[in-house]
Amino acid sequence: MHWHCKKRQSRKLYNMSGLGYLIKEGFHSIWNNKIMSIASIGVLFSCLILTGAAAMLSVNVSQAVENVGESNVTTVYLKNEVSSLQAVSVMRDIEKIDNVAGCEFYSKEDAIASFKGELDSVYEYMQGDANPLPNAIKVTMADLAKYDDTIKEIMKIEETDSYSNAGEVAKTLTRISSLIGNMSFWIILVLSIISLFIISNTIRATMYSRRYEISIMKSVGATNTFVRIPFIVEGMFIGLVSAVLSILGLMLLYNILMDLVQSTIPFDAIPFGSVAGVISLCFIVAGVGIGTLGALFSIGRYLKKEGNEILGW
Amino acid sequence: MIEFYNVSKVYPSGTHALNGISLSIKTGEFVFIVGASGAGKSTFLKLIMREEEPSGGRIVINGKNLSRIKRREIPYLRREMGIVFQDFRLIDKMNVYDNVAFAMRAVGATADAIKKRVPYILELVGLAHKAKRRPSELSGGEQQRVSLARALVNNPSMIIADEPTGNIDPKMSYEIMKLLNAINEQGTTVIVVTHEHELVNSFPGRVIEINQGKILRDSY
Repeated sequence: MHWHCKKRQSRKLYNMSGLGYLIKEGFHSIWNNKIMSIASIGVLFSCLILTGAAAMLSVNVSQAVENVGESNVTTVYLKNEVSSLQAVSVMRDIEKIDNVAGCEFYSKEDAIASFKGELDSVYEYMQGDANPLPNAIKVTMADLAKYDDTIKEIMKIEETDSYSNAGEVAKTLTRISSLIGNMSFWIILVLSIISLFIISNTIRATMYSRRYEISIMKSVGATNTFVRIPFIVEGMFIGLVSAVLSILGLMLLYNILMDLVQSTIPFDAIPFGSVAGVISLCFIVAGVGIGTLGALFSIGRYLKKEGNEILGW
Repeated sequence: MIEFYNVSKVYPSGTHALNGISLSIKTGEFVFIVGASGAGKSTFLKLIMREEEPSGGRIVINGKNLSRIKRREIPYLRREMGIVFQDFRLIDKMNVYDNVAFAMRAVGATADAIKKRVPYILELVGLAHKAKRRPSELSGGEQQRVSLARALVNNPSMIIADEPTGNIDPKMSYEIMKLLNAINEQGTTVIVVTHEHELVNSFPGRVIEINQGKILRDSY
């Protein structure tokens, strides 16, 4: 029979039992190289836990920034000569500025009224024309990261005089959030590369221990795909186990830490359950992805360099 | 059918392994490739298996020019060949049955096909009763028969035996050669690479002698 006729026939012969055999081979490999497999799972577990911790910290800080943003109101004081009527017009102008979520007029009468009870003598002598306080507008911003630019725009309005600097806390939190965001990116990148390296080395060790079998497979006409599948199964399984362990580990660690933090500082932490779905999905995709990529890198390199040789000739 | 047209092979080290060899091996032939160590026998096998590409000339197997086939087509070319190694190349963690079945699994055969074919082939090489044994529990001759069974199991059109009697005693060598002859009588091309002239003289067949990369003799 002409060999390319056989090629078509052989392709038909690939079946589920063959795939089952290859998957079983992948699991055998993990068992036969259990020390290296455990080491890989350990490294990937640590990487995912650190990544998850950075993500949870980032989410919590973002939430804190959001909370501060919601309660934060910057008071913009108007010039003394600006009347209440003019102030309402200024308020309309401020509302038109980008990033301004809301405005509230705060009259000089309301301002002096706030002294009533605490400083009654001051309140008594500063009524009507004797009131030295200016009219003001309380401004709420949509995004505190744009605080400086928004204030600059507001202060361009001629009738404005000064503003209260209550956004400092929010600005600091925003800076921390952005720092954590950047750090998380680098942590994830570096740890992914380390994980990839470790898994790829584990698979390479498995491959070298099975190079004899690979050479026999190649000599009888196994395709590269056939040779690859058990190693890919191995990489995927290592990734999956690492991901599942990391999800459980992160949940445990997060709950313990949050209990500790909340017992010292009253802090509105995000419950793990609310992000568990997203975190689990990300961990499984990352774990299985890194495992598969690690396997593909090493087997690809091996098959290109040495795997085509039928040893010993 | 194997055809070599003025084939040369020069390795990157500068070694001239084959120098302009031309030959033709027809389907169903029994051929001995003989020569001393370093004569070019291994290179000849590597070229047939497409483990190496020739530096010059053309190799055609079953009408297919090996220089023109794609990398992904190489496994399908190799399925046309059954290889018997001098050192048997058996996997000791597998029993005899699994060693033979392994070759079928590697080409994606179904479980049913394996169940039918492996016992038949083991019967053919006289090892059905030792199917559950590990290779290390067998004699050298028996191990070579397992290797032969593995080479045969995918029903190749040619068997290439690289020094098949190199690691076994003379009596067993004779048995292996008889088996190869029987396989050849069924129409399978058999190529035996050896340096044992005594073996060549004891069995009929075409003899191609390679020396310093050139064909020194090609006779029956």
